Amino acid sequence: MANPLRFLVVDDFSTMRRIVRNLLKESGFSEADEAEDGVVALQKLRNSNFDFVVSDINMPNMNGFQLLAEIKKDEKLKHIPVLMVTAEARKEDIVLAAQQGAAGYIVKPFTKATLEDKLIHILKKTGLQ
Amino acid sequence: METSDSTQGAGEAESADVHHKIGQLTRQLHDTLRELGMAEKLRGSAEELPDAKSRLSYIAKLTGEAAEKVLNRVDQAKNQHDYIAAETHRVKALMIQDPVAAVAKGHIMNFLMDMEQSSQQIDQHLTEIMMAQDFHDLTGQVIARVVNLATTIEDQLVGLLIQTAPPHTQIAKPAPSVEGHPTLQGPVVNPEGNTEVVTSQSEVDDLLASLGF
Repeated sequence: MANPLRFLVVDDFSTMRRIVRNLLKESGFSEADEAEDGVVALQKLRNSNFDFVVSDINMPNMNGFQLLAEIKKDEKLKHIPVLMVTAEARKEDIVLAAQQGAAGYIVKPFTKATLEDKLIHILKKTGLQ
Repeated sequence: METSDSTQGAGEAESADVHHKIGQLTRQLHDTLRELGMAEKLRGSAEELPDAKSRLSYIAKLTGEAAEKVLNRVDQAKNQHDYIAAETHRVKALMIQDPVAAVAKGHIMNFLMDMEQSSQQIDQHLTEIMMAQDFHDLTGQVIARVVNLATTIEDQLVGLLIQTAPPHTQIAKPAPSVEGHPTLQGPVVNPEGNTEVVTSQSEVDDLLASLGF
């Protein structure tokens, strides 16, 4: 059964945006939009309603850390969970993401099961499911 | 013998002279680079070349693994498809022969259960084929870093050319290249022995758990 939650998938690589959206759809989350960097993501978040953000970190214009910081300092957006899905595997990046308020952190390459596990965990924790 | 010895002696002297001249040129180039402040910059780029080689090897490894994974999954999906086609043909013949018996003996029910299982397996193969395409993102990031290094070396060499050009020649200075995100590293190409990075999702989870997340 389709879940009405609305996702925003942020990644500068269209292949990865497509993969994540397809995985979300397979997991029952068919409502998803996408953005190619933090700037576009922030515009979409401010102009529409989203329940969840899945974001890459290493992107042009505005990276994932900057996007996360912008979301968390915006009163209207800060409640939205942000799951980081990234190739950045340094421990200091993971710690920084957690300190900045990321709801979860997945290192690429990842599996469908990992994404589903994190989604379920975050949705339960935030009361969205 | 005497002629041969004198020829050999002349050859050795010539070789030593060439060697000496190359030595002088090398010293001259080294001193010039140092005076121009280019030596450190070029050395920095040269030190990054082995890293660039590792990154290119990483790309070859990742694309190779992705191709292997896709071909394996396609083979399995095709086998599954052949099985479905054969079973459909067999059960169709049973239905034409005696529809009541085909249902009564459970052939139809078994067939439907088989098809349900097969379609689930094919779906898994398709998902894995889709996931294998993530190499595009990872290799793309690595390629961008290698291109950035090549651009840096090119900029430095052009800079050197401009600074050492004879006074009567005018070479336009190229526009500076736009820097990427120096603080972000992208995919880890050599994780072995590096304690600063995680090598699996379970390590990420453990680290976050240790921070109370």
